[in-house]
Amino acid sequence: MSTTEKNYNPVTNQIIDELKEIVGEKYIIYGDEEKLEAFSHDEVAEVAYSHMPEVVIRPSTAKEIAAIMKLANRENIPVTPRGAGSGLSGGAVPIYGGIVLSVDRMNKIIEIDRDNMMITVEPGVVTNEINEYIKDDGLFYAGYPMSLETCYIGGNVAENAGGGKAIKYGVTGRYVTGMEVVTPTGEIVQFGGKLVKDVTGYNLIQLMVGSEGTLGIFTKIILKLIPLPKSSVDLLCLFKTAEDAIAAVPKIMTTGGIIPTAIEFMDKTSVQAACEYLNESIPYQKAGAMLLITVDGASVEQVEQEYEAIGQLCLDGGAIEVYVADNFTTSERIWKVRRNIAEAFKVVSPHQSLEDIVVPIAAIPEMVLGLQELSERYNCSIPCYGHAGDGNLHATPVMNPEWSLEKWRKTLPDILLNMYKLTAKLGGAISGEHGIGHKRKKELSMFVSQDYLNMIRAIKFALDPQNVLNPGKIFDA
Amino acid sequence: MRIIVPIKQVPETNTVKMDENTGTIIRDGVESIINPLDLYAIEIAIQLRQQHGGEVIAISMGPPKAVTALREAIAMGCDSAVLLSDKAFAGADTWATSYVLAKAIERMGSYDMVICGERATDGDTGQVGPGIASFLDLPVASYIGKVEQVDKKSCRLHRLVENGHEVLDVELPAVLTMVKEVADPRLPTLGGKQRAKKIDIPVWTANDIEADLDKLGLTGSPTRVVRIFRPKVVRQCEKITAMDDSIVDQAVDKLVVFLQKKDFI
Repeated sequence: MSTTEKNYNPVTNQIIDELKEIVGEKYIIYGDEEKLEAFSHDEVAEVAYSHMPEVVIRPSTAKEIAAIMKLANRENIPVTPRGAGSGLSGGAVPIYGGIVLSVDRMNKIIEIDRDNMMITVEPGVVTNEINEYIKDDGLFYAGYPMSLETCYIGGNVAENAGGGKAIKYGVTGRYVTGMEVVTPTGEIVQFGGKLVKDVTGYNLIQLMVGSEGTLGIFTKIILKLIPLPKSSVDLLCLFKTAEDAIAAVPKIMTTGGIIPTAIEFMDKTSVQAACEYLNESIPYQKAGAMLLITVDGASVEQVEQEYEAIGQLCLDGGAIEVYVADNFTTSERIWKVRRNIAEAFKVVSPHQSLEDIVVPIAAIPEMVLGLQELSERYNCSIPCYGHAGDGNLHATPVMNPEWSLEKWRKTLPDILLNMYKLTAKLGGAISGEHGIGHKRKKELSMFVSQDYLNMIRAIKFALDPQNVLNPGKIFDA
Repeated sequence: MRIIVPIKQVPETNTVKMDENTGTIIRDGVESIINPLDLYAIEIAIQLRQQHGGEVIAISMGPPKAVTALREAIAMGCDSAVLLSDKAFAGADTWATSYVLAKAIERMGSYDMVICGERATDGDTGQVGPGIASFLDLPVASYIGKVEQVDKKSCRLHRLVENGHEVLDVELPAVLTMVKEVADPRLPTLGGKQRAKKIDIPVWTANDIEADLDKLGLTGSPTRVVRIFRPKVVRQCEKITAMDDSIVDQAVDKLVVFLQKKDFI
């Protein structure tokens, strides 16, 4: 069916007029290459993954979106929903042109229900603002990814975003209890509500969560909130080797009996680059790897007890030093190391491939060793950092600055193929939190069976028989 | 080498909120930290002890909860700490604060250096370090970016000035205030934190330091804060628009006249 995908109809002037009727002239962008360009890519840096839309439309209600979907079905035009464009798999890129549907105007917090500890939001709300908004009520939304400042909650739900706190708080999907969705054929449907338990029929909410904009467009999202942790402490643990660092991770949970909020792993290459980039004076040269561990809880005493126990376990497990940050300023200083790894490598070369592999946590040492081997074999740095607590590693091949672009483009697929092979061998998956999008769809079949692919295709075509909603993502129809 | 480091507990700037009506900082529920510029003083003091032996003692004047700042200083590597806390100290300006710190330092016996941060990030005066020196009648060297050639009697200092630095030989004991260039503050370690939790931090009152009660707190402060306010910035904006080509010339003429009036052209 991939041939039909290429046979979508162009967006004609007549269709533009109809779209204007639906949302108003002000909220349509077309014919202006410069403005449209911003909607042709997400945060995936490589130009090869971008594609221009024919028109961008910015609706403000579910009804408008429903009308757009009906029109798209009637005229056979692809529609690609878009949040903040901070995705890392090309999910919001209109690879067949057509309409990009931006939810940026749907940015209202509709209701905060303190008695039920639920918040109802529109998809264009910046995720970070949710926590700002409910902080004074002592509430907290925990399904929280790393790109904090920019991403929208709609995108988080579409990608089932995870981030650093997944080990304790799980990922976005755990907190979604209800939603209003415009289906690919233009119906407005309500799922779930403010219920903690709900087994009424199929769990369509969780089918929508992580569907990467291929099964529906969210227009309202109901999120479960939890009490805001009162105290939080970060530990920066320097280990001699990556093996020692990783071996400490399960021990914290089994021997220590503590589930930390976050356990971030940084290999030697990552730590060195980030510390040099930041002029950080911690004795990183001695460290073969670092763990950044966050503990939070309801009281200062509980958190203190837990971080002391964890710190001791790390020291017993061969940590060279454990630093403690129990205030914002110090915490920022150590988190800066983790957050600046990607930036630091942009200085080496802007050409990199941010990967999102996930392996069972016990397989991390083997994965890290395998990556080192690949790095040596191809003479190309592959800094490896990420969420050690959940096995989600952002291994990132960075172009050797001595290479030509041509050589990089030739070599990268080989490196990635070997990386994915090893990931699959270790029982891992290709994406932990960024999604498949169209960046990783070719490799998906390495990780799932044909039967599985048939099932997701069947679901897609049951809901979107004309394949007009975000076509060409996850799999080729 | 015996080094005394006076430090201050300040509100964590990220969480600071202002009371719109009174113009003062709301301190309730605000996280407090060591004045970030004091960290450089602590760091260089620890480095000097590592090189020359001796001890580093942190002191702070403040409410009982300022003890957390002192514990953090110990977690970084200070050997001991003293808290100066008394209701009579409340409302002190830089003069009264310097007096209390100087009296406490006097009580500590012999020492080689008093090392301070450049200034506190809340009050922003930079007066307390030199103030201590004047009460103790000691030499003072402020804005120090480098400390070298330290011996029993003197040290060589690089003092930051507008166009470079002065090299000073200073007799000890002396009061020094440090700028960022002097050293990168270390992070508190787990071992340090555990030691800091257990250590006993004595609390000295006005009596303990034999202070003259008239010189303390608000009573002893020659300065009065009359009002704190945020200066209003008034911008008068004139917008000159030219919606199409035909009136661009007119708009440019208007702009030229405007700029001439303001003496910009």
